[in-house]
Amino acid sequence: MSNPVVFVVDDDAMVARSLRWLIQSVRLDVETYPSAAAFLAAYQPARRGCVLLDVRMPGMSGLELHQHMQQRGWRIPVVFLTGHGDVQMAVRAIKHGAFDFVEKPFNDQDLLDRLQLAIRSDAERYAREEAIADEKSRLASLTGREREVMQLVVDGLPNKVIADRMGLSAKTVEAHRARVMEKLKVRSVSDLVKIALRAEVP
Amino acid sequence: MVLGATALAWGFAQRRRCAAAVDRLEAARVEHARVQERLRDNEARLRAIIESEPECVKILAADGTVLEVNPAGQVLVDADDPADIVGRSIYLTVAPEFQESYRRQVARVFDGEAVVFEFRSLSLKGRERWLETHAVPMRGASGDIACWLGISRDMTARRDAEEKLRRHQLELAHVARLSSMGEIASGIAHELNQPLTAIAGFVRGAVRRLREGSVRTDELVDTLEDVAGQAERAARVIRKIREFTRKEGAGRRPEDASGLVRSVAVLLDMEVRQAGGELRIDLHPEPLTIAADAIMLEQVLCNLVRNAIESMAGLAKDERVVTVSTRRAADGGAEVSVADRGPGIPAALADRVFEPFFTTKQQGVGIGLSISQSIVESHGGVIRVDNGFAGGAIFRVWLPVRDGEAR
Repeated sequence: MSNPVVFVVDDDAMVARSLRWLIQSVRLDVETYPSAAAFLAAYQPARRGCVLLDVRMPGMSGLELHQHMQQRGWRIPVVFLTGHGDVQMAVRAIKHGAFDFVEKPFNDQDLLDRLQLAIRSDAERYAREEAIADEKSRLASLTGREREVMQLVVDGLPNKVIADRMGLSAKTVEAHRARVMEKLKVRSVSDLVKIALRAEVP
Repeated sequence: MVLGATALAWGFAQRRRCAAAVDRLEAARVEHARVQERLRDNEARLRAIIESEPECVKILAADGTVLEVNPAGQVLVDADDPADIVGRSIYLTVAPEFQESYRRQVARVFDGEAVVFEFRSLSLKGRERWLETHAVPMRGASGDIACWLGISRDMTARRDAEEKLRRHQLELAHVARLSSMGEIASGIAHELNQPLTAIAGFVRGAVRRLREGSVRTDELVDTLEDVAGQAERAARVIRKIREFTRKEGAGRRPEDASGLVRSVAVLLDMEVRQAGGELRIDLHPEPLTIAADAIMLEQVLCNLVRNAIESMAGLAKDERVVTVSTRRAADGGAEVSVADRGPGIPAALADRVFEPFFTTKQQGVGIGLSISQSIVESHGGVIRVDNGFAGGAIFRVWLPVRDGEAR
């Protein structure tokens, strides 16, 4: 996985440059974009990190850009940079799913802390999504029989009953069950139940 | 016999004359009947016209007694029956404040004039209407003025619409005037925020690198150059503000200082009343002619009054009084002052309130008094603040008087 990047979108070239200089001082990668349109055109949704967005920009405003990002399903966290008197706008942005906002002129530590939090939240969300995707692919690797056994185990039936129902020997059921646990990388029935529950919820 | 014949002859002649007279009488009677009928027709036609006339038509005697009124007129005074109004005084339906002027209009008509006037009418059932009446004298056979013929039109709807429009325009002007300074302030705040934000970022980033010993001299030099550039950018913004408040000098015209107060009095009064307070205005009886850019000075007044209201937010509503007054200063100049009953200005802050970005308000930018001062100084004037004897702050704007230029 590549390093997280702080994507700075600000029409004021000197403010963008200053933000880059400050954020790089804590060894974070920074990319700057002079407009909402430039960012929309360049960003690849697989890229990790967070976006630092100026609320007030000529052309497409920060709020509009945020809406476009949401419509495209981009889930990278957005931190808004707001000017004097824009607090209400920032509150609206938060209600619409922005990660946080920082008022200009900002306290540097405060800004950097929030950016770090946003990056961590992005990494966590990414890890969660990876885990879920991983789990899905493992579930898909089960054979029909294994899936059947798994369902009955999750329903709380003992091996003997499962064997009777499926017309198999207890030993065969035991073997299927072991394969399921191994393929899904779980050690206990309770973990198995959790996976089954997650799989039911699309 | 001769006598008998003569008498007989006379008798015949007499009878012939009689017959002719009867014929003439008959002819006259027929003619009279025809005229009568024509008159009746005419009258019926006239009456039909008047009765069907959608406007109120009424005939009054000199003392205001209603002699006749058509159905539209009866509707206008809410008479259920003609008898409710015919034979009674028209003044029963004239609002008290218009009684006097209505009498004058009646007198003018009976002097032979045609008149048009508008008045407020209160119907027999107490309903208010604004009526426009056109009235002309009606002369009798002798040529004397016998009565007044008036046509009245209900102007209530039009007047309401006009009133609404006027109020709307007033509100718009009000909002525009009061928001313009707020907008300027917020625009300036944004313009200054940008370079300040950039400077803060450059400096903090440099400090972090220097602490870690991880900065190269050349990049530090570049960054310090950027910092200086942004400081100059902020200075340019401030220069622009000062130019903005000074550039309007060409728009100076002789104005009466009290007139300026009067022209914004309605707006100010609205603002003060919205805050639950009371605006008192005390103007110098003679003109105080100054060379002024009216819009600019009105803005100063609005700003001072607004500050005055805000300073009294902690008082009970009946104690929130703002007094705007004009007077001739001891040195002959014009003085416009705005006094409030708030906590006043602590002596230590009296010099600082005019500094840009100095504010005691949570939401304030600290630009209003600073701009006001620039405007006053650009008029060759002085603005200062004192505390009143009875508490509260008094902002005094002194402006040089241009005597001999009075309009």
